[in-house]
Amino acid sequence: MDRRNFLKTTIGALAASQIASPTWAQGKPLKLGFLIPKSGPAGIFGPSSETTTTMAIEEINASGGILGRQVEALYGDAGGAPSDTVQAAQRLWRRDGVEALIGQHDSASREAVAAMLRGQLTYVYTPVNEGGYCHTNTYSLGETPDQQLAPVIPYLAKEHGLKKWYLIGNDYVWPRGTNAAAKTYIAETGGEIVGEEYHPFTVDNFDTSLTRIRESGADAVLITLVGGASVTFNRAFASFGLDKQAIRLGTLIEENTLAGIGEANSNRMYSTAGYFDALDTPAALAFRKTYYDRFGADAPVLNTLGEGCYEGAMALRAMFEAAGSTETDAVAAAANGVSYTGPRGTTTLSEGFAASDIYLATAKGAVFEIVQRFEKVAPGNACTNG
Amino acid sequence: MQEAIVFSLNVSYGIISLALLVLGLAIIFGLLGVLNMAHGELVAIGAYTAWAVQSAGLPLLLALPVAAIAAGAIGWLMEISIIRHLYRRPFDTLLATWGISILLREAIKICFGLEYKSVIEPVGGSITILGADYPTYRIWLMVAVVLGFVGLFLWYRRSHAGTRVRAMVANPMLASAVGIETAKLARRAFVLGAASAGLAGCLMAPLIRIDPYMGVDYLLSSFFVLVVGGLGSLQGVFIGSGVIGGAETAASTILGGTGGYVTVLVISILFLWLKPGGLYARR
Amino acid sequence: MRAADAFFLPVFALLALVPFSFGDFTAYQLSLFILYGIVGQGIALCWGRVGILPLGQAMFFGLGAYLGGGALIWAEGNWALLLPCLVLAILLPALLAGLVALVVFRRQTGSGPFFSLITLALSMLTYQIALTASDLTGGFNGLTGIPPLPGTDPWGNLYWVILGTLLVTTLGTTWVLRAPIGTLWSAVAQNEARLSFLGYNVAGLKALAFAGSAALAALAGALYASQQGIVSPQTLGYVLSGELLIWTAVGGRQTVLGPVVGAVLIGFLSSELRDGFALWEVLLAAIFIGVVLLMPQGLGGLARPLLDKLSRKRKAPARDVIIPLSDAPSQPDLSFSDVEVTMGSVHILRGLSFDMKDPGLHCVIGPNGAGKTSSFNALSGLLPVSRGAIHWNGRDVTGRLPHQVARLGIARKLQVPMIFHDLSVADHLNIAIWAQNLSARDALRPSSFRRRNPVMDELFTLFPFLRDEQKTAGELSLGHRQMLEFAMSIMNKPTLVLLDEPCAGLSKLETTDMTGAIARMREKFGISALIVEHDFSVVETLSDHIYVLHQGELLAEGTLDQIRANTEVQAVYAGGSK
Repeated sequence: MDRRNFLKTTIGALAASQIASPTWAQGKPLKLGFLIPKSGPAGIFGPSSETTTTMAIEEINASGGILGRQVEALYGDAGGAPSDTVQAAQRLWRRDGVEALIGQHDSASREAVAAMLRGQLTYVYTPVNEGGYCHTNTYSLGETPDQQLAPVIPYLAKEHGLKKWYLIGNDYVWPRGTNAAAKTYIAETGGEIVGEEYHPFTVDNFDTSLTRIRESGADAVLITLVGGASVTFNRAFASFGLDKQAIRLGTLIEENTLAGIGEANSNRMYSTAGYFDALDTPAALAFRKTYYDRFGADAPVLNTLGEGCYEGAMALRAMFEAAGSTETDAVAAAANGVSYTGPRGTTTLSEGFAASDIYLATAKGAVFEIVQRFEKVAPGNACTNG
Repeated sequence: MQEAIVFSLNVSYGIISLALLVLGLAIIFGLLGVLNMAHGELVAIGAYTAWAVQSAGLPLLLALPVAAIAAGAIGWLMEISIIRHLYRRPFDTLLATWGISILLREAIKICFGLEYKSVIEPVGGSITILGADYPTYRIWLMVAVVLGFVGLFLWYRRSHAGTRVRAMVANPMLASAVGIETAKLARRAFVLGAASAGLAGCLMAPLIRIDPYMGVDYLLSSFFVLVVGGLGSLQGVFIGSGVIGGAETAASTILGGTGGYVTVLVISILFLWLKPGGLYARR
Repeated sequence: MRAADAFFLPVFALLALVPFSFGDFTAYQLSLFILYGIVGQGIALCWGRVGILPLGQAMFFGLGAYLGGGALIWAEGNWALLLPCLVLAILLPALLAGLVALVVFRRQTGSGPFFSLITLALSMLTYQIALTASDLTGGFNGLTGIPPLPGTDPWGNLYWVILGTLLVTTLGTTWVLRAPIGTLWSAVAQNEARLSFLGYNVAGLKALAFAGSAALAALAGALYASQQGIVSPQTLGYVLSGELLIWTAVGGRQTVLGPVVGAVLIGFLSSELRDGFALWEVLLAAIFIGVVLLMPQGLGGLARPLLDKLSRKRKAPARDVIIPLSDAPSQPDLSFSDVEVTMGSVHILRGLSFDMKDPGLHCVIGPNGAGKTSSFNALSGLLPVSRGAIHWNGRDVTGRLPHQVARLGIARKLQVPMIFHDLSVADHLNIAIWAQNLSARDALRPSSFRRRNPVMDELFTLFPFLRDEQKTAGELSLGHRQMLEFAMSIMNKPTLVLLDEPCAGLSKLETTDMTGAIARMREKFGISALIVEHDFSVVETLSDHIYVLHQGELLAEGTLDQIRANTEVQAVYAGGSK
């Protein structure tokens, strides 16, 4: 056989083997890309994101992997500016060949990554979010404002006889979206809004706001401050004795923030989220035990953001198995209605978002205590162009 | 009436806490002409010291000297290894201290981790002043800081060390010609500035958030206070804090949080442009 | 072509090879850092060359990105709409930068930290505005859905567009820096006051440099919008500003390609390391401190000794472009009317009044503290006049800025010679001959380096050392520096030159040369002079009209014999009274 024919035959054989055997891929590990904050101020959630991801991957692989393939987690740093996150996502996708991305980062990075992907890769976004956005092949698992507030505001209003609400948050899309939803629910309970404020991220002196809260006679404060601002605000709130006047409800007060606020300052403070370290359902307890056994008692404390990565991996497994492949369009066709069970309970994907259980917790000293569970809360604003 | 009292106390607290946090930077910038970009991290070290002392079960009062020594020691290390080569190169000190601030922040992360720390107020509850309730610890803090400033002012004016420092500031060559050891004096001034930053962080620890990134915001607001108040004088620090703190409070009352922040930036830009010496320039 | 140009070829060749050796993806990543490098080139221009440190340069980068991104979205692929908008995206930030610099530098001399802090504050302000004005900018999430430049693919051929832009900016910046304006910018960094006294509007020069750096940043920003498809507020903020400074400093701010090398090496390195290496920030900080302490000129500076060895001492081009002398009047008409200058509680000038209407050489003498130099400073606009007025040619010139006074035909030579330490003698002569006589076109033309005029020809005869034009001014002796400064001050045939102790520190021989030169200039070109002198032999040689100043006032006036005979003057000099 002369050289040209040899070449043609070889190439032909290779090509044929690629097309004819989908199981050729079966030996290859299934790579998943996890975008987690490893640097910068949001880096505080990096360690817990990584540990829960490791646990998820180990569990998935122990039970046979996904579609018969062993799973491998690759990480990208999403703690910097959105352009850095996009770079990391690009690296994971184009260079390292991940077959899906899981994002645990802020909304700016989410928008940047989604704009870059343009629907070409399955993208699961896990944290609490502002809802109401829509990107092809992007699935948001985290708590939406409607989920966090629709059952919780009426419950608290009834429990404490709340009539006057004060809204305070940082000045960007998530707090504004949350407050917009809150106003509807507050109005439904017959309550009124006695104040609404937005602050830039750098502000760390809330004394004038606290004076206004006192003077307004508010009996409930809805807090959508994030990170350090939340810590400073809540500490000052309690030191002025305002916890006697009003209850506090936060939609992103998790275990780390609570530690910063301190046990002396957390009286009558509530948090609503899909997951808490203190969650006492059988599924959550089992998860907790495995986690602290695996990583030790000093492991990064579990919280809704870190645990979300575990949820993301579980969701992907369910989606891939429902679709029978990891191919983006196949997943999109099968995704709606897929459900799985995890530490949070049962989560069901619904039009680009997810219906899941929501918990209301109160701060007892330095830890949370679950007060109420709301089952299968719909995410509200759905993604209508799928 | 009660609201007016609380308002005045809030404004006073804002000004005094700002002056306390700025002092260390004012000392170093005013006396040595060094823009210490690691100032915020020195404050952070003071705050973390307070937490460490409290976690060890020791009385919080002990944290004050420990914080001053810790921050001062780090300042000494900084000066002797890096800063002293760069006194004639103001831009390079800015860049070098920027690098040092990153190193210090990473060191804090490694030693203490990323999580928020919380320091419990040594005196809780509130005091009633003229009918208005105000947190006790804040009152104590304000009184202590004002007394401290007065003491520092008197020392600078009256003592031998103060005179030597003033001579060195006014005319370094002549000072060294009459036997004042300018290199040593500069080092001591730097260490004093660093220790002040540490003290400030320690005193403020129960009132602020404590995490590795806390330093950055203090640095920025400190610069603007110095710009408005003028370099090289304690009066300038207070005047600058007064203007910036007061303006921010007033503006955020009317315009909201973002408006307050923007107002401070605009005022700083105007001062930098029109009155770069500040309101109370020494020179 | 110079030795430094030898680096262009390998750098561009390496960059051009990247898509082929490392794939399109690496090229995509690299193109981002090339864009940052272009911003760095702008920083090298205003910081490395002119000495203005911009702490908020990302502001212009971000402005260019938002404007360019907005244009790309709005124009929807239509080049007829897109092109003018992109040009605006580059020009508007440049205009803003020039305005800010002009407004700030008019009030402040020197490039102290205040301007840098202003740029930092402005960067923080624009960041906050971008966050808040979410209708315009998309707020926290940013401006999304920006299409790439029509016909380009960010993961493909946009790399070549970006590399091509880098080529243009590199060649363009190099060319501009080697033009007369580049020499002027170097002079600004070394001695602003000297330039002002020659009549240059230093604030304008600085504003021009800053605007240029902003234009480069905005150009990079517009390409960034096309490459990333999204622009978020961090593109404007101080964190990116700081990183840009770091990359420029590490790469070398005195070179044109240095910042690009810095951005590519360090930026790329950190972006690769951050995913895997927990201590990457520590490594970066350590590199940065190391560079500041040990290699202040950055990596580009490492190449300097090699370059100096390689480049031959270039001969100055022959001066064959003859510039006519200005036709300024030879008749000075200066009068001080009751001028008072007070600093704090010290009265420096107490009602100084005199007239000088005769051409020729006049000397000003008096004991120390009489106010001789201060009267010059008041005239030049360096000292604020609290009362009284100064008139020149019938016009009130009290309180005018130094460069404005220079443009009226009054030149100045200072007591301690002000020269540009790192510039050559040729540069000094050029700067002098360009003063008040350099159009925008001339500022970019190499032919401007070949100017000469009759005064320069005479100076070459009077001071033969000037012919060694390639010598660095810093290497000259004090005497030669005095002569060089004198040469600069009279190059454009001013009507009056203020000479402050021109023979201070000169040997006997040098003094003879200098006085001879002053007399010769008077004789041949009609340049009048007001000379402060302590040395009576010089006074005797030069002039026969003398003003005696004492304690801020005019004590006496007349010929040398008259002054000698004046009892009051005797008393003052012998310590008889006051």
